[in-house]
Order: sequence, then structure tokens, then C-alpha cells
Amino acid sequence: MIEVRDLRVRYGTRTVAHVPELDVGAGECVAVVGESGSGKSTTLMALLGLTEGAEVSGHVRVCGVDVLTAPARRLREIRGARVALVMQSPQAALSPTTRLGVLMRRALDLHDVDASERAMAEAVEAVLLDPAILRRYPHEVSGGQAQRFAIALALALGAEAVLADEPTSALDVTVQAEVVGVLRRLRKERGLALLLVSHDLALVSTIADRVLVMKDGEVVESGPAARVLAEPSHPYTRELLEALP
Amino acid sequence: MTVPAPVLRAERVTLGYGRTAVVHDVSLDVTEGGVGLIGESGSGKTTLARAFLGLLAPMSGAIWYGDQNLKKLDMRRFRRDVQPVFQAEALDPRMSAGASVAEALPRKERDRVPALLEKVGLPAEVAGRRPHQLSGGQRQRVVIARALAVSPRLLILDEPTSALDVTVQARILDLLAGLGTERLLITHNLAVVSRLCRTAHVLFAGRVVESGPTAELLARPAHPYTLALRDAVPKLGGAPPPARGRTEARPAATGCPFRLRCPLAVAACERAPEPREVGEGRRAACHRAEELLS
Repeated sequence: MIEVRDLRVRYGTRTVAHVPELDVGAGECVAVVGESGSGKSTTLMALLGLTEGAEVSGHVRVCGVDVLTAPARRLREIRGARVALVMQSPQAALSPTTRLGVLMRRALDLHDVDASERAMAEAVEAVLLDPAILRRYPHEVSGGQAQRFAIALALALGAEAVLADEPTSALDVTVQAEVVGVLRRLRKERGLALLLVSHDLALVSTIADRVLVMKDGEVVESGPAARVLAEPSHPYTRELLEALP
Repeated sequence: MTVPAPVLRAERVTLGYGRTAVVHDVSLDVTEGGVGLIGESGSGKTTLARAFLGLLAPMSGAIWYGDQNLKKLDMRRFRRDVQPVFQAEALDPRMSAGASVAEALPRKERDRVPALLEKVGLPAEVAGRRPHQLSGGQRQRVVIARALAVSPRLLILDEPTSALDVTVQARILDLLAGLGTERLLITHNLAVVSRLCRTAHVLFAGRVVESGPTAELLARPAHPYTLALRDAVPKLGGAPPPARGRTEARPAATGCPFRLRCPLAVAACERAPEPREVGEGRRAACHRAEELLS
């Protein structure tokens, strides 16, 4: 679903992210872990061709589209519809004067997805929300609800891959557990490919199959989550693990 | 053994904004060894912190500093004794770190700035830098140095590390643990409380639902909300608890506020449970506390 080889993102002469290899297949979850400035979010944005002003080289294939060479029209087709982006504060991206149901309908129309009211309600129920939420405005829902609505939107659009950037770091811990639980289930039941960017190794360990640890723009360690977390080979990974409270 | 008198005490305090109460009838002592207030967004923990700092007058009840009611206290003295440490955004962007710390010192003592910076683990050259030239962890250290400038008895810390990277967070916690100043810590992070506080209080919907020694409270919660909080924290290699879709239930307006989210709720929970003693030094407001503990 996602295939990256030797991706380099540069601003001027500075390389802010370099990823030699990254693959996420259907039903898999890969996590990119690192602290501020490690290049983890830049990597995620590069997968959608959203690194404006940067020089990007390498090979990036997402849902069959060569992101670095495809025309803008082709990228718009996959963004949102086949690959969904879930950000830290989805509320900021929701129009404050539009009910969530109307918003979902517009997104579906934009991508020519023909979905019944029933299908919309089902997408919302799949993330453990009451379909009544479709009648609410963004300010009437909590952070955790908005986060799950963003995931429901991806489901309604038939997304095959979800890219999530710190999806739960602004949420309370009980709500966070619920969002992670939803993502885990959707992965299994619908074969969603999930790329998760996070600074929280403990959280990552509960959901990811593979982990890439980034520091100062470089991948310092990667491998199966269980191995990387149990036997870290890079001192920075060890430092991250030791810092866990 | 004599129990030392609390530094600060909330006695049946109700707090709010306008006519809306957000903290209801809370009594708690800020004692030695660190006290933690644990709660999620909207639980009232920051409102309580503001009342303890004398920034918000109670709608009813009283805050006591020693044997004096905060309402009638000389605030000049109090402000020196009890210092806030909030998230690092509180620094003036136009002032150098050194000037920010110096501002808190009397004119004659301004030569203490290097010593204060050293105390919080900052190199001397940081004094000349402005906040945007510092990392998040360095900014938080400057905020702590500023609070320490007046040699306070108590620090009131509101989420002091939650915006920081984990490795930086760990170092700030080490610093705070080694300071030797009394502290009231407000956070949603249970690990931070277990690191820095001997006693913990768990807030839900503006009420203290459980109190006790931190280690015991987290090892054997007596309130289902404490249990839910503890089990929701992701553990390395562990599985997250199953998603139930319950977290959006609003606090119940009558009876136990947690009952609509509580997996243990029974008919009795429509009657509000009073906080009561459930073990040595432990209190919980739950009809089923004994079952949870057994």
C-alpha cells in the first residue's frame, strides 16, 4: 500500500528527513517514532506530496500512485479518498458553521463516492460514535469524538490507508485508549494500512508491527516492534525507552 | 507520630466562573512529600490550582494557608511563599532568560542569577538568550529558576512537562524531584504523579473521587475511575483496554457523576456516594469501593 525507497526531503542544503526504506502493507501498522525535529512528520507529509517548498527525491508509491512524479490531479484523487490523513487536532480543519453530516456528505461528493445515509451512519458506528453526531457542529464535539469522526470520514470514503500524525497526543488517556482501540480493530476487520507518527513508544508498542526510530532527520533504527522495543540496538532508542515514565 | 500541619488546605471548597460551579465541595490538604491532583480535561484541576494560588475566590468554603484564611491574608508575603510553575509559554519573548530570572529578585540580589540557572541545570551562557533561542526543556528550566528566585515554600506546578519530549521530560522530573521544595502537582499524567508525589487525589467532574498514598492508590484503586485511568495508560508491549465507546458520556448530573461511564454501576449509584474512609489514609467516593479493593 505504501512503499518508500531512499526518500530525502531537503530545505535548501539541509536534509530534514531521510528514509531509506519504509513499507506498509494492507492490514499492517508501522510507526515512525521520534522527538521534535526528528523528521517524522515531514516524512508523513512527503507521502502525500504535501511538502511545499522542499526538494524531495527518491521513490514514493502510495496506493499505486507514484507520489513524486504524479500530476496534481492524480494526487487529489488519492488524498482523502484512498489515503486519509488524521491529524492531532482535526477540529481545526472542520468548518465551524457546518454540521458534521453535511461535511461528510461534501467530502463524499467531492470524491464522487456514492454513499447512503445508512452507509454514513455505519462509518460513524464503526468508530464507536452515535450517528446522532452527524447532526452536530464541530464545537459541540469533544477532541476524542472529532478524532474518531476524522477516522469515520476515512472509512466512508473507502480509504485503504490511514496516515495518522500524533492522533492521540492531545487526548485524555482514557479517550486515547479508545481511539487506539478503534484503529486496532479497523486494521484487523477492514485491512486498513496504518502509518502512525508518534513520540510515545509505549503507545506504539500496543499497536505497531514495525517501528522506525528517527533522530535529526535520519532513521537510526528500524525493525519489528517487539524486537526494537525489547532489544534496542541504537543508543537513542535506549534513551527513549529509559525516559518512559 | 505527629502529622505535620498542611501547607495549604481546601475546606469544602466550591469554585466556579460566574454562577457555574465547576469544582464541588472539595476538601484536601497539601502536605509534605508532594501532592498530586490527577484528572482529565474539564475535571477542575486547574481551577483548583488557581484557587490555591489565591487567583480565584471560592464561591463557598475556604482555602487556608497555615491557620490563616487566604481571603484575609497579606498576599505580598503569600505570593513569595507559594509560586506557580505553568507551561513554559509564560516567559516574556522580549526578555533574555537572565533578565526574566533577575526580574523576580530584589535589586540587591540580582547577582544570584547565575547560581539559580546552575541550580536548574542551565549553562551560564543561557542567561543572554531569549525564549525563542531556547529549547522547550530549557524554557521550562528558566520558568522553574524564576519561581525558585524568591525561595518559595511550595511550588504549584500545572502540567509542567506535558508539552515536552519524553527524554526532556525525564530530566525535568529529575530536577523537580531533587529540589527539596514542597509541591502541588496538577497533571493528567499518572507516571509524573507517582514520581513526584507521596499523596494523590483523583478528580472527576469537579469532585475528588479518590485520595490516598500514590503507590497504593495506583496499585489497588478503590474507585472505578482511577482504575480506568490507570489501565488506559499504554504499557510497553501491553495491549490497550478494549474500546467501549463510553468515554463521551457526560458526567451524570445526579447521583455518582461517573456512573454513566462506569462498568460497575448499579442502581445504588443513582444516589451520590459521599467520600469515605476505605483503608489507612485512603478515601473514595464509590458505593463499591470495598469490592474493588478486595
